[in-house]
Amino acid sequence: METIVLLTLVASALRATTPLLLAALGGLFSERSGVVNIALEGIMLFGALTAALVTYYVELPYVRDAPGTSVWYAPWLGLLAAMAVGALVGGIHAVVSIRYKADQIISAVAINLMAIGVPAVILTGLFGNNTTSGTITNRLPLWSVGPFTFSPLVYLAFALVPIVWFVVFRTPFGLRLRAVGEHPEAADSVGISVTRMRYIGVMLSGVLAALGGAYLSIGAFNQFITEMSGGRGFIALAALIFGKWHPLGVLGATLLFGAFQALETQLGGTALLPPTVVQSLPFILTMIVLAGFVGRSVAPKAIGKPFTKS
Amino acid sequence: MTERLAVVALALLTLLSLALAPWAALNRETGARSAVMLLPNRIIDFTTRTTPVEAPGQGVVLLLSVLGVATIVGAGALRDRPRQVLWLGAGATLLVTTAWGLAGFASAVDAQRVLSVRDDVRAAVERPRPAFDVDVLQAIVDDPADLSIEETVARAREGGLIIRRLPYTGAGMGLAAFLTIVTGLFAIVAGARMVRAVNRPLDRALATMAIPAVSIVLALAAAAVVILVMQPTPRASAFEFEGPLIALAGRLDTLWLAYYTMFAESLGTAKGFADALSFATPLIFTGLAVGFGFRAGLFNIGAPGQMVLGAIATMFVGLYMPGPTWLVLPVAVAAAALGGGLWGALPGWLKARFGANEVINTILLNFVAASLLLFMLSSSPTFAAPAVRVIQLIGVVVGVMIVALLVPWLRRQLGRGPRVVLALVGVGVLVGAVFVSQPRPGDAPYVLQLPFKVPGSEPKSYELQETARLPRLPAVFGIDLRQTPGTNIKPVDVALPAALLFGVAALVVANRLRRPAAARARLGVAAGSALVAYGALAALGWRALPVAIPPSNLNPSFVIAIAAAVFVHYFLFRTRFGYELRASGLSPKAAEYGGANLRRNTVMAMAISGALAGLTATHYVLGGALEDYALRQSIPTGDGFDGIAVALLGGNSPVGIVLAAFLFGVLKNGGSLLNITFSNLTRDVVSMILALVVLFIAAKGFLPERLTNPLRRAKALGDLPPEVGDGKPERPPDDAPGGPPGQTPTGAKEERG
Repeated sequence: METIVLLTLVASALRATTPLLLAALGGLFSERSGVVNIALEGIMLFGALTAALVTYYVELPYVRDAPGTSVWYAPWLGLLAAMAVGALVGGIHAVVSIRYKADQIISAVAINLMAIGVPAVILTGLFGNNTTSGTITNRLPLWSVGPFTFSPLVYLAFALVPIVWFVVFRTPFGLRLRAVGEHPEAADSVGISVTRMRYIGVMLSGVLAALGGAYLSIGAFNQFITEMSGGRGFIALAALIFGKWHPLGVLGATLLFGAFQALETQLGGTALLPPTVVQSLPFILTMIVLAGFVGRSVAPKAIGKPFTKS
Repeated sequence: MTERLAVVALALLTLLSLALAPWAALNRETGARSAVMLLPNRIIDFTTRTTPVEAPGQGVVLLLSVLGVATIVGAGALRDRPRQVLWLGAGATLLVTTAWGLAGFASAVDAQRVLSVRDDVRAAVERPRPAFDVDVLQAIVDDPADLSIEETVARAREGGLIIRRLPYTGAGMGLAAFLTIVTGLFAIVAGARMVRAVNRPLDRALATMAIPAVSIVLALAAAAVVILVMQPTPRASAFEFEGPLIALAGRLDTLWLAYYTMFAESLGTAKGFADALSFATPLIFTGLAVGFGFRAGLFNIGAPGQMVLGAIATMFVGLYMPGPTWLVLPVAVAAAALGGGLWGALPGWLKARFGANEVINTILLNFVAASLLLFMLSSSPTFAAPAVRVIQLIGVVVGVMIVALLVPWLRRQLGRGPRVVLALVGVGVLVGAVFVSQPRPGDAPYVLQLPFKVPGSEPKSYELQETARLPRLPAVFGIDLRQTPGTNIKPVDVALPAALLFGVAALVVANRLRRPAAARARLGVAAGSALVAYGALAALGWRALPVAIPPSNLNPSFVIAIAAAVFVHYFLFRTRFGYELRASGLSPKAAEYGGANLRRNTVMAMAISGALAGLTATHYVLGGALEDYALRQSIPTGDGFDGIAVALLGGNSPVGIVLAAFLFGVLKNGGSLLNITFSNLTRDVVSMILALVVLFIAAKGFLPERLTNPLRRAKALGDLPPEVGDGKPERPPDDAPGGPPGQTPTGAKEERG
């Protein structure tokens, strides 16, 4: 009995970790290249919206006539579309903050604001209400390993940790990425295009954050709800700092926050604590972590500073 | 050059719109189905049941408009002098022509309205009801004299027939007429450069306005695309499109009506204006909060959380503090500021003490505040007994630690290995928690009954005492809306505020003089002119002018907001501490070298910023701007984020912030009307526009650097010697309008914890 409870807790912790991990790994690319990305939250929402809408409209012709029809490729198309939109929204952040040298935080805040208004406008036009999309029939499939069944994105997220580590620390691309984030002038002097690397970094972060969002709408749930990310983008950002901008650290940090969220769900069912109290615990924990009680972490040196080629 | 291109482009656009877009609207039914008119007298009837109206002289209007606009385009190629003369003349022609044409159109519509109302009256006479006075009604039908529409309706009412909805509602200006007027105005302003004295102030105004204005126009244009995609042309089901031109006219009219809805009521009616001010009030507070932070080099994204804490604090005072109004109200206002201020000071302290980034922490605190509010207003939160024991344990441990830190000797001992102590305490708490959380016999869940929460599931507090309420606009003038709903006419002392405004204006002018007199003399002049104005206005009878008081939620919180703006201006630009804060914002290292205490400044700046955000509670709780005078969970904390847009648009200056907040107030008020007018559009369009404004201002309006870089611009204006600013400045200084807000003080690497 105890083991079953524990296993469920572990499984739900892994599920809760997934969107955080995807977004945080995305943020890692962006911030390692020297661009702060608080837009993760907004990009997640755009990803979630796109995934839900594309899945909904791909399966619609089949499901309308025979409810429950399986259209296996619908969620995968939704996922692809979410990645594209993630790259696009990340691209907006990139253009504004790299090409136009905008304050990166303001640019990201604008994207987060848009992620509240734009989905509402679109939902009103398509579904006649401004908070939820239509429900989808074909969610992402569940793949089982032993006693667990997870969405493919869960496996992807955890598989990405070593991949990201390898890419960032063992490939020329990763070296360049870190170089433009630490010392863009030096990188520029050896012929690395600072702007190009930063564009790639920010757009990659958009792709990954959008995947995290898509997991929420078509992996863990079956529709889009406005503001369904509920601050996960910000927690991912905090996990990135907590994890010292390193994939393994990020994994640890997101696992911790994921475990907390899983615990919250478990506690919520038992009326042990008011859910509102549990809800705020991860945020308070993050603040304590950020205050440096758990060791200092050093950001990429050139983070937040627009680069002017001289 | 840019200016000339802009005017010519606008004129070309107007030329197109004169051919393709509706010039006036004839009738707008519910659901936004309209009948519109293109010049000359071409009517497109999307309602399929509007009787056309023939307005005289529309051919002449079209001819003159096209001629005028074409002249502006053509003159764009000429040299300065002749171009300016032609632009002035053509601009004036456009204004006069359009005004004359619209007046003619309005009177034609009114005449048709009279005919239509008369038909109604005739029908009433033929089938009289007991309430009708048939003789009076018959007189209207027989009256050979041309009665105006107002008189006709008034006399029908005397006869017992109440005309509820006039025919041809919403008749008025269309897109083409509007663009013609705008082109005329722009041509006149550009042509006014003929007078040499206009040049410098005009250049200055353009330089200040360029980024915000371009950003707003771009945002509205982007929103236009969304509006067109989302909202098909409203039309009766029987209506059929004949040809693409009619469809195009319908699209353009949809767009025009959407923007007209967003702006017209707020700018055109007293009720709308008051409502816009009411919407603007919280935005002034949050805009000031964010702008103040920017000036000090801090990015306060925590206004939503600070709003909540301010509201909670003020609710406690408003519910429980005994005493007379003159005591309770100020304390309640102070509590709002204090609550927000403390919540803002927390991330400030975390930054000053631990170098933790304030951006992340303020965001996290927003979520914590939202949870706190939900906890306080949710129906009877329940704790399981083990959880209560854990909370008690943590409380005891924290209490012991605080006491221990207060004893100097213990404090020194603990200070030797703070990390070890913290770790030990942490492990101890964990073990203890596991121990006490074991279930015990007789455990019963603990249900918390919060005394301020209304019973039931509705997430709101009890209503505040009468002594803690700011009266809404009608109540300020002694109107009880429950007895006399709607607009009430009351004699109002207009002379006093008008005279005060006059005095302030005089002061501003006196301050701007090339050789200003002594401060005392300037104040004297201002006071004197205010007195003279008051006397003159009083003689005109303005002390008791009958004014229609609209039923609006506007309340004295607006005055507090303006006072806060004045305070921020005075504080930032007239005090030593404000100077220090701005210096810290611009260059923290230089400020520190100059003797500024960066840590203290960070905490103080965040506290003041939070206090400003907390003052929104004066509007939402004390002012009863939500349905009643209570703390509600629905308090719109999104205003805190909108404050970022307001601060950016206002260039972080208090005057700019008030103006930007008013613009957004207008948009928000208009947004709520969008819901009513259109089937597919909601107020979310407005929140999207706000987000786009932030994005475009961040990108400096996508304008070329020569227009946005303050140094290069100043050089171009001749304010700087040519050798200054040739280098590449890394970042423009902070007070550049719409420029980037202050960089975070210390380098990013130190502040990330």
